Amino acid sequence: MSNDMDNFVGLSVVLTGFSREVLAPDLDPVDIKSEYLPVFTANVTKESGDPSLVADIFQKYAMLQSQTLTPQQIGEAMLDPANGEAFVLACRKLIFMWYAGAWPTIVPASATAQASTVSDLISAKAYTASLVWQVMQSHPMGDSNYRYGYWNKPPVPLSDYTGQ
Amino acid sequence: MTTQTYDLVIVGSGISGSIVAYELGRQGKKVLILEAGQEVPVDRSGYMRTFFKANAKTPESPYPPTTQDPKASTPDNPLGLPDPALENVPRYTVLQINSWRNPAQCYFTYPPQAPGLTGDSPEVVFAFASSYERIGGGTTWHWLGTSLRHFWHDFELKTLYGHGVDWPGGQQFYQALVPYYEKATKEIGVSGDKAAMDKIYTQFDVEPSGKYGPDYDYPMPPIVASLVDNLFATVTDMTVDGNPVYSSPTPQGRNSLPGDRRQCAGNTNCIPICPIQAKYDATVTLANALQTGNVDILYRTVASNIQVDAATGEVTGIDYITYDDHLGPPSGTGTAVGTKYLLAAHAIETPRLLLMSNKNAKFPDGVANSSGQVGRNLMDHIMYLAWGLAKDPVYAYRGPLSTSGYESLRDGAFRKNRSAYRIEIGNEGWQWAANDPYTTLADFVFGQNASQLNGNSVNQQGQPLRFNPSLPANSQLFGQQLVDTLNGVYIRQIRLGYLIEQLPDPDNRVQLSPTETDHLGLPRPLVTYRIRNDYEREAFVSAKAVSTEIFNAIGATEYTIPPPDPVLYGAPNEVTATNFQYKGNNFTFYGAGHIVGTYRIGDEKTNSVLNPRQQSWDHANLYMVGSGVFPTVATGNPTLTIAALAFQAADNILQDLKQSSEEEAEAMASSS
Ligand SMILES: Cc1cc2nc3c(=O)[nH]c(=O)nc-3n(C[C@H](O)[C@H](O)[C@H](O)COP(=O)(O)OP(=O)(O)OC[C@H]3O[C@@H](n4cnc5c(N)ncnc54)[C@H](O)[C@@H]3O)c2cc1C
Ligand code: SF4
Repeated sequence: MSNDMDNFVGLSVVLTGFSREVLAPDLDPVDIKSEYLPVFTANVTKESGDPSLVADIFQKYAMLQSQTLTPQQIGEAMLDPANGEAFVLACRKLIFMWYAGAWPTIVPASATAQASTVSDLISAKAYTASLVWQVMQSHPMGDSNYRYGYWNKPPVPLSDYTGQ
Repeated sequence: MTTQTYDLVIVGSGISGSIVAYELGRQGKKVLILEAGQEVPVDRSGYMRTFFKANAKTPESPYPPTTQDPKASTPDNPLGLPDPALENVPRYTVLQINSWRNPAQCYFTYPPQAPGLTGDSPEVVFAFASSYERIGGGTTWHWLGTSLRHFWHDFELKTLYGHGVDWPGGQQFYQALVPYYEKATKEIGVSGDKAAMDKIYTQFDVEPSGKYGPDYDYPMPPIVASLVDNLFATVTDMTVDGNPVYSSPTPQGRNSLPGDRRQCAGNTNCIPICPIQAKYDATVTLANALQTGNVDILYRTVASNIQVDAATGEVTGIDYITYDDHLGPPSGTGTAVGTKYLLAAHAIETPRLLLMSNKNAKFPDGVANSSGQVGRNLMDHIMYLAWGLAKDPVYAYRGPLSTSGYESLRDGAFRKNRSAYRIEIGNEGWQWAANDPYTTLADFVFGQNASQLNGNSVNQQGQPLRFNPSLPANSQLFGQQLVDTLNGVYIRQIRLGYLIEQLPDPDNRVQLSPTETDHLGLPRPLVTYRIRNDYEREAFVSAKAVSTEIFNAIGATEYTIPPPDPVLYGAPNEVTATNFQYKGNNFTFYGAGHIVGTYRIGDEKTNSVLNPRQQSWDHANLYMVGSGVFPTVATGNPTLTIAALAFQAADNILQDLKQSSEEEAEAMASSS
């Protein structure tokens, strides 16, 4: 299991563009990764109907990671259509989950509307821990540690939020 | 069964009911409040938890009753909306708008669409777009806090511009309200910029000399401007219909300094809930009222009928039903008895209660309804939204949801031809407009284009909208490229909201559903809502053009998505709720939460429910407060005016109580 977690976090760092220190710091009181991994495993297995898909994804990541590749190259290899539709979609959903704290469902295009995505929030913690707030250099709506008037000045640089 | 007799029985503990309770309690009068909803919690952490867990962060999402149950989601009820027939105190939520044709999911019911209409027919009925709360403290739990006055011109719409009706007394009405506006501003603890308001008042001929109080200033300095505000403030040499366009800091009911409540920390969450109560809400006034020792409140107590003495026409008691659990059986009934009665249940529930009270032989059409006006003239500020991307970062999603607006278009000769509006400037990016940050996120993760940032769309200015033209359409990104793209979008997002004045239309109304009830067996509202007048529709055309002009002036790219054609007929889940066509354009309207007009004041018993003292024409000891008393919706957000009118009503009630007790004393003296 710890191996799965290592692979899950490593893959998440590659795909989200956030550093390991932000997603899964050594001292991790929030520990959102421990909520996300089971959700990811259960949903991908259920949606794909393939009991070994999650293991395949982690295996492939571990293999790529053991080579001397850049994160960009690892990401491209993981999202390569040759891996199969379900494999790639699972990786994309992993990105969405970290950013939104929610599990996405894609609503296909219809006669009157184009394709869109609806999502199901994983937990209150997932809402506040989700990366969308970091990537906009802000804070979750309803949960700010800032002080009066902060909105009158530009925020600290993006890299401070992504850890990259 | 209550046995104590009170000086005043109030229905509803929102800002209007609480102000009157406090004013009377302070004067030693005994007051009982009947409150349909659950009690004010000791602290707000439970509401915060509910909010954090909610899938859809709507205005109602933190509060009981629960707005959605994701586990109950089914293909024909994807949001898992609870069935209002099973709820003791259902209320309308914005999640119900798209289920408006399904009474198993929507608290309001609606009349059928007349046959043969087209998308631009004035007779098309829509879903109502605004909501309210039924909990201790009422709807200010989730208000934004904008605290503007109306202008006296707003009170003379008919005389000056030939539309709608005047408020009784027009300019004099405004004049008499001035000291009460000052009290209201103090009660809410408004943070504001007097110089900025002076400029607007001068533009609209509201002179400082006596018309808004010579010593007047805001209790707190203005909330500092956001970076988004600074961008919109650069518009200086534009005019619309002869009026200059300039922005001003918005007077707001949130603390710019620490005081009795905390200083605003910019949680960007005033709607739906301020986590630290930096924003005023009516629980503040309610707590003060209860502190007087003269005010009692009964929670989970739903007023269901008003009893009237057939001989005198006076109200003799208000019947109520109690419950313990929101979905459980009723736990009891009773009648609250007082000398005077005040309805403060807001603009849908107050007329509902009046209409339900139809068992009094002399008042078969409901209490206070000899004019037939109860429930009519339902209005809102109908909202037009426009959104875009600024050229440079403005760091949206930071600070209070809105900190400034364009107030300079709220009056002018153009009001002969079209509705006026104020323009609110949003700090929350495209959250309201396009359900961001999630729509943009999904687009760039899954290669969709619902935001128009990731495709080949062209906007109303003829500009291509793909955010990064060097990326192919429908890009699917990851890693650093995703970070940079999302950041580049989010920190540039801007949004304008137009609050368009709606005219009173007697056919826009609240009635009782003949078939649908709540869990207490009380008939649910039947709401008829149209946007019939070209006067209002012209304002949408103007709003659309002005947005584009403003975005041009600040060098921004507009992303406003024109809505699809309205679908008027078909299965409940197919018909559209809030869009219409006008002069070849498709429009969607949004609600401002400003529910107005359903028990209006007036000069004549025949055309209004209340006299200018907010006292029923039909029942001398019955009063009503809240935005239902407004004859027109006017151009400011309503709550400061609601509060001012509540202070005025409290004075009237105190005066009448004094007179009643003097008359009683005289009668006693002469009989002994
Ligand atoms: C999203 C949103 C944003 C808003 N923002 C602003 C803003 O920025 N500025 C502004 O001026 N206004 C704003 N408003 C409007 C503002 O919230 C309302 O005008 C105001 O709260 C109404 O106060 P009230 O006391 O009349 O009614 P409410 O606060 O609605 O109180 C009515 C009370 O009556 C109770 N009640 C109902 N039925 C019964 C019954 N049968 N028996 C007993 N009790 C009953 C309810 O439980 C409730 O407590 C906003 C509204 C919304 C929805
Ligand atoms: S910005 Fe935040 S702290 Fe300030 S009033 Fe709104 S929710 Fe409260």
